[in-house]
Amino acid sequence: MARQAALTDFHPRPTAVDWDRMAARARSMRRAEAVALYAFLIAVSLPIILPYFWLVTIAFSAKAGVAETMVLWRSMLVLVPGVIAFWLAAMVARNRREAWLGMGAIALTAAIAFGLLVGPDLHLRNFIFLVEPDFASVVRSRVGAVRGAVQFPNVWHAFANSLLIAGAQTVSVVTVASLAAYYVSRWQFPGRAGMLRSLLVLHAFPVLTLVVPMFLMLYWIGLLDTLFGVILVLVAFELPFAIFIMKGFFDAVPWDIEMSALTDGASRRQSFLRVVLPQVRNGLLAIAVFTFIRGWEEYIFVFTFLIRNTNWTMSLYMYYVRDDVMGVDYGVVSAVGVFYLVPSLILYLAAQRYLMQMSIGGVKG
Amino acid sequence: MAATNELTIERRGHTRPAARRRANFVIFLCPAIVLTVLFFVIPVVIDIAVSFTDLSRSLRITKFTTEQYQRIFQGDRRLPEVIGLTFIYVFGTLAIFNVTFGLVLALTTTSINKIAGGFFRGVWLLPRMSPSVLYILLWLWAINPSEVGLLNQVLMRVLGLNKPLDLMTAAPIALIVISNGFIGASLGMIIFTAAIRGIPEHLFHAAAVDGAGTVAQIRFITLPALRWPISFVTIYQTLSLLVSFEYILLLTKGGPFYDTTVYALYVYRRAFESGQYGYGAALAFFLIAIGVAVALLGWRFFDMERLLQRPRIEVQ
Repeated sequence: MARQAALTDFHPRPTAVDWDRMAARARSMRRAEAVALYAFLIAVSLPIILPYFWLVTIAFSAKAGVAETMVLWRSMLVLVPGVIAFWLAAMVARNRREAWLGMGAIALTAAIAFGLLVGPDLHLRNFIFLVEPDFASVVRSRVGAVRGAVQFPNVWHAFANSLLIAGAQTVSVVTVASLAAYYVSRWQFPGRAGMLRSLLVLHAFPVLTLVVPMFLMLYWIGLLDTLFGVILVLVAFELPFAIFIMKGFFDAVPWDIEMSALTDGASRRQSFLRVVLPQVRNGLLAIAVFTFIRGWEEYIFVFTFLIRNTNWTMSLYMYYVRDDVMGVDYGVVSAVGVFYLVPSLILYLAAQRYLMQMSIGGVKG
Repeated sequence: MAATNELTIERRGHTRPAARRRANFVIFLCPAIVLTVLFFVIPVVIDIAVSFTDLSRSLRITKFTTEQYQRIFQGDRRLPEVIGLTFIYVFGTLAIFNVTFGLVLALTTTSINKIAGGFFRGVWLLPRMSPSVLYILLWLWAINPSEVGLLNQVLMRVLGLNKPLDLMTAAPIALIVISNGFIGASLGMIIFTAAIRGIPEHLFHAAAVDGAGTVAQIRFITLPALRWPISFVTIYQTLSLLVSFEYILLLTKGGPFYDTTVYALYVYRRAFESGQYGYGAALAFFLIAIGVAVALLGWRFFDMERLLQRPRIEVQ
């Protein structure tokens, strides 16, 4: 039908294709696609952003102990239009100067609105646990509740325990893994192929399945409920993965560098320490950060192997605060949460580049 | 002549090669081997040994029996339920989140502005970056059964629900699938993003010139290039979903009753809640066997040739 209509059309048709119109259509299509994509991504990301934001707002604003959401919604009221305006400014602006001006104006407006709407509610009283070891009783007496049987250690004690576990684990894993990885990467020895095969299997082996026998073993050798025992277990469990990653980094170091070191009279050990090790600095940093974060976050093994409250790590502290004080005071719980979360996030952000390198290296084998 | 002399003098200064080789082996490799044997091999042996005993809360072995295995295959009426739930949980999470949603996130975040894409990927990495206890704490708040809960606020104010919803009792399985899926999706997202970035740009241009739309480009260029990463994520995540129970333990403790107790958590609860260490060890044995089997299967996906290449320097 359409074809016939076109044939019977006696008006002179434009001889050239209307490029401008087609380009405009393509542009609007692309814009619609982008809008749809952004809408989708914002919709699926909101459920993640909201709770984290809630945690922060409660930590800095909750007063009576109940979970208030007024502050959350009010700050969202400022933040969401602010971010959208930011994006629009970046898109609409014709040059850099305009963009900076627009963004500056938006940031200023948002800051003033934030100060007016949320500012009066902000305070630091929920971080009482940092200075008052027996904060639980204080919090409870505030609402007149007496429930709660958990005796909390000083938060800095738990903090130190976590630092100790994560730090000791990191130092040991980095040392042992780089030695072993260098050896399997660069040395021929009987059983090398078998060792590489078992390394592959171990690196994929799920260590959580060993929690029951590990508990019994620690009990029998008397290391249950000691930080030393937990550190040993965590070091061993982290090793195959770290060796695997480090081997990849050592494999990438050119042989010529090492060869020239040997020609200049260095021994093999010297060339490892002085020449090869500096070449794999990124790998060392990657496994160090990764191991530290794993130690900092560890929950199941410390929960199962550590019992006394003087041995608590931050994860156990957080867990018991949640269990014990949750019904009483949301403010303190979320303040502890912020205190526990921030080091993790800072480490991840600082090491993002190295971690990306590692995850890709790890996948490719 | 002089050079050879010098060489022999220098050689004499060092210890003999064989002794040196042994010393190097001890220095470089021994710590790793000792730790690995101590904490991987011995626990597996202990697990198998304990599974043939009646070890219980008193932590004392009184006799060796095979009754733990008899109980697994005949006596335990809860076990079929647990295994069924495990299947639903593992494959549900895998299919919905770890692969499909991870793929969707990778595709969408790579087709928008680079900075914005990075931002959204960052948001989706948040759950993975936060410690498990904290992540679950946020879930507990979000699904709080009273009207204070974030979910209930949205449901009641925006969607006009008149009674607060208690997700923990209404849909516990969906709850554990979603809470684990939010974390699982990000691994797929990262790996798929890296793979998509690796596809040569000119393929897309050529396809566009040939008249392929967005869907056709995804179907005929992107997805074929992702075949390897997708199978990697599937195998790897099946294993980790099968053995991990951390988030479920923190979120529902396996309850209400045994409704969200997957196999790995069942092992944990039997051993540490009921104190039946022998039975727990027997149950754990099957998990260990599956773990080793999948790890062996994973071999096929690694480039063994490259990994086994021979070293080129033979100096000790």
